[in-house]
Amino acid sequence: MFLVLYICNYIALTNIKYKKMNLNLKTFLMASVTVAMMVSCKKDEPAPVEDNETITTVRLKFTQGSTTTTFNFKDLDGDGGNAPVVDKISLKPNTTYTLAVEVLDETKNPVSDITTEIKKEQDEHIIEYVSTPATVLSVTATDKDSRNFPVGLAASAKTTTAGTGKLRVILHHQPPVNNVAVKNGTFTVGSTDFDVAFDVEVR
Amino acid sequence: MTIQLIPLIISDFFWRKLTWLGHPPCPPSKGESASRSTFQKNETIDFHNFYVYFSELIVAKPKKINYYIFLLFFLINITSHAQTPTCNCTLKGVIHERDIHQAVVGAVIYLKGTNRSTFSDAKGLYSFNNLCQGKYTIICQAIGFQKVEVEVNLVQEHQEDFTMQDTDEHLQEVIVTGKKEENQSQSKAVLSGQALEQSRGQSLGEALKGLSGVNVLQTGSSIAKPVIHGLHSNRVLILNNGIRQEGQQWGSEHAPEIDPFVATKLSVVKGASGVRYGSDAIGGVIMVEPATLPYDSARIHGEANLVGFSNGQMGVVSGIVEGGIPTLKGFGWRLQGTFKKGADVETANYVMANTGTQEQNFSVAMGYRTNHFGTEVFFSYFDTQLGIFAGSHIGNLTDLQNAIQNQRPNEIYTPISPSYNINRPNQDLAHNLLKIKSFLIGENLGKWSLTLGRQYDWRLEYDVQRGNRNLNTLNFKLTTYTGELLLEHRPIFNKITGSVGLSGLYQTNLSSAFELRKPLINTVLIPNYEVSNGGIFVIERLLHKQWEFETGLRYDFRNAQAFGLDKSGNYFDNSFHFNNLSATFGANLRLTDNWEIKFNAANAWRSPNMNELFSDGVHHGAAAYEKGNINLRPEVAHNLSISTIYEHAKLGFELTTYLNYINDFIYLKPRTENGQLQTVLTIRGAFPAYDYTQVDARFAGIDFDFNYLITKQLNLKSSYSLVRAKDILNSVFMVNIPADRFENTLKYSFKKREAFVSIGNRLVLRQDRVEANSDFLAPPPTYKIWRVDAGIKIHKISLGLSVQNAFNKAYREYLNRFRYFADELGRNVSLRVKYEF
Repeated sequence: MFLVLYICNYIALTNIKYKKMNLNLKTFLMASVTVAMMVSCKKDEPAPVEDNETITTVRLKFTQGSTTTTFNFKDLDGDGGNAPVVDKISLKPNTTYTLAVEVLDETKNPVSDITTEIKKEQDEHIIEYVSTPATVLSVTATDKDSRNFPVGLAASAKTTTAGTGKLRVILHHQPPVNNVAVKNGTFTVGSTDFDVAFDVEVR
Repeated sequence: MTIQLIPLIISDFFWRKLTWLGHPPCPPSKGESASRSTFQKNETIDFHNFYVYFSELIVAKPKKINYYIFLLFFLINITSHAQTPTCNCTLKGVIHERDIHQAVVGAVIYLKGTNRSTFSDAKGLYSFNNLCQGKYTIICQAIGFQKVEVEVNLVQEHQEDFTMQDTDEHLQEVIVTGKKEENQSQSKAVLSGQALEQSRGQSLGEALKGLSGVNVLQTGSSIAKPVIHGLHSNRVLILNNGIRQEGQQWGSEHAPEIDPFVATKLSVVKGASGVRYGSDAIGGVIMVEPATLPYDSARIHGEANLVGFSNGQMGVVSGIVEGGIPTLKGFGWRLQGTFKKGADVETANYVMANTGTQEQNFSVAMGYRTNHFGTEVFFSYFDTQLGIFAGSHIGNLTDLQNAIQNQRPNEIYTPISPSYNINRPNQDLAHNLLKIKSFLIGENLGKWSLTLGRQYDWRLEYDVQRGNRNLNTLNFKLTTYTGELLLEHRPIFNKITGSVGLSGLYQTNLSSAFELRKPLINTVLIPNYEVSNGGIFVIERLLHKQWEFETGLRYDFRNAQAFGLDKSGNYFDNSFHFNNLSATFGANLRLTDNWEIKFNAANAWRSPNMNELFSDGVHHGAAAYEKGNINLRPEVAHNLSISTIYEHAKLGFELTTYLNYINDFIYLKPRTENGQLQTVLTIRGAFPAYDYTQVDARFAGIDFDFNYLITKQLNLKSSYSLVRAKDILNSVFMVNIPADRFENTLKYSFKKREAFVSIGNRLVLRQDRVEANSDFLAPPPTYKIWRVDAGIKIHKISLGLSVQNAFNKAYREYLNRFRYFADELGRNVSLRVKYEF
């Protein structure tokens, strides 16, 4: 771009200085060559598109002692189409479980495990657990990122009395803004990568 | 044999008689008589063909000879009668001083090579009547001013205005207005001259914002697309240097890929123009028109522009160099380039992260022209990177609701100081256009023009992604070939002028993969597709006394084939065939020299877009689940408009009222079941569901422009735009319709150096015509913003200063999609320097 302007200036200057007509053709040709050169500089083509943002499955693994029960939120055909299949979380009262979250993209073959990606980028991810009513289940993250903020891929879940309710599990993606980290342990920044709600039954 | 000869003899006799009758009443000039004689020669040829045809008829049915002879007499009489008024052309105009709009009284205007001359009257007006068709050189002279010479080709009626320059300055510039325009009977708004200069550095959409009836649909500060009479995107056609601009125009966040520095004039035809331009011209047409190449001057000249904006610390450099080649007369060339870089922009109270822009464009044009033939090659390249406000990236409805609830964006999205870095999310676009236009003025039929174009639009959208991977989210490659063959025929019966044309388009779009028929992924919003399109049209214009009638007809077909993958990853292809017949009728009535009334009835059509046919997924920016419908039919607009234009020495106004019925209007309708709004559950939560449906829509409105010269130097300019839009099938208001808008500018022009100071405001009322619960957020309140402008020209340097949003008001605009997230731009001071050489 600056080249063109340089050429423009050059033309203007030569025109003022010499006012010789035969120069015009020369300068014009020069300018054309510059433009032709610029046309040939193309944008770098980025890597081919791959749909890497799809999440089809959120899996909650509740472990107590040696028994692990698994509950899924599955939407294999993506947004729209068939409605997601959501398991009902069934837990025992007055029990503390170890909770592990797995995030998968089951449209890929082999199945793509997004959990490892989230782990790798734990400084910009946080999982929020909301249970309604709050008494039905209380979930606390047990893992920490490099800046000592919770991540939430591992947690402890505690039940009290029997009852029913809902558990919402939300993954917030909080990437840095202009290379400044933004994750501060709250859920108010960033955008949502998944937001799934399970029915909970404690009996 | 003898029988066959009779009509020839008769024709010869009448031909002579006709030549006598056709004796020019006004004294002939050299060039003038030459052009007329060729014209008559053509007529002779036509007449002879006519008689040969008739003589054949006579041979076939000898008994009816008398009848045919009688018929011949009759026809000849009619045509010969029509031949005589060749010399009823009029030429008129107004002469005023350059710096101030003061009339030049007593200027001499004469036609070179004739003995016709006149003086301008007290209002600076002059006129010539009963001139013959042909080329004239008009010379305008007045004491104390530089002589101006202009060549015009007179066909019927022509207006030539002169702007006189003081003799103490050494610039020769002629402002030529009143050129033959298409769409005579439609309302047209033009941005050129000083008003265009004031918009330099802004995007195309932003530049057009001040025109009555034109709004912009924005996505933040960097993406602006024009809205004409409430219609936008694929319902507005943009002609970039005569070629229809083909980009991914369906998205509201897709701005036109055009550098406004290319143009010396931006015009907006308001209303349906389907007959001349084919599909999509439902709301109107925007024309980006560069100046004619300098065919006559070998001198190299041009201009350099520098613009700086305080808001976003944006700088723009743009230059033009043009000239000819001394040894090759009739050859002209032009080089043009623009570079633009801006950092994060500021609202009244905070900086918005990641709103920087960068743009680099250039164009090359070369042409050769003689009196009867010309050809021009134009190439332009447009390349831009647009940052999208980091705080607008949302994953689901909760995120959006949180953003709406916060009065201002979270502080991590409002950095203390602006940055030039463009991070994700952003858009990276490139558009190139190659155009070859040639014309040939034929001896018999008229002027042929052939316009061929090839354009390539490459749109990359980068969303915020996990893993900071260098992957693009969307990658559209659109290649379009267009062609148009146009014949502007010679006047028929000396009264009817017009044109006949053929146009064609072939387009391919790659949303994924490298081959049309091998799509790779199914999350790219629209499938790969291929479109072929053809049209034929005729437009004729008739002048009768103070009336001018215009009518036209067009037939179009459009075949499209889409190739994609469905939700389960299975390949599909679908074919679509659409066709349509459009018509237009217009009338112009010139009541007096100052008062004109225009009436226009027109229709236009648009075939459904690929996104309207195939969408099936969450539109993240809008937090909505959108579902297309492959059974959509084309929509057809029926447009009526009436304009009144009054212009007198001090007062001028234009009032346009319009009514636009659009049958099968395609739009996103909220999905309801038993009166309940429906949502679609996804892994990111529930999204409100919308379906592409067809309704009948009615758009009606008023555009009003008013201009009053309070004193010789003080000028008041006001405009008012109003649109009312309803879905008449369900009797509900349409969404995203511009609110009522008032603009006022008070301008003081100094006598010298084109200097001026102006102050203006824009009042935009709150849009109250919305259905309850139809939006996440109620329309923003009424706002009023002020701007101040000043300019001066010192020899070859023009300086301009503008302050937009002078009082740094915090406000939000209904037509900005980011009204959910952030305020509009705060105060923006810009300085423009233009150097002409």
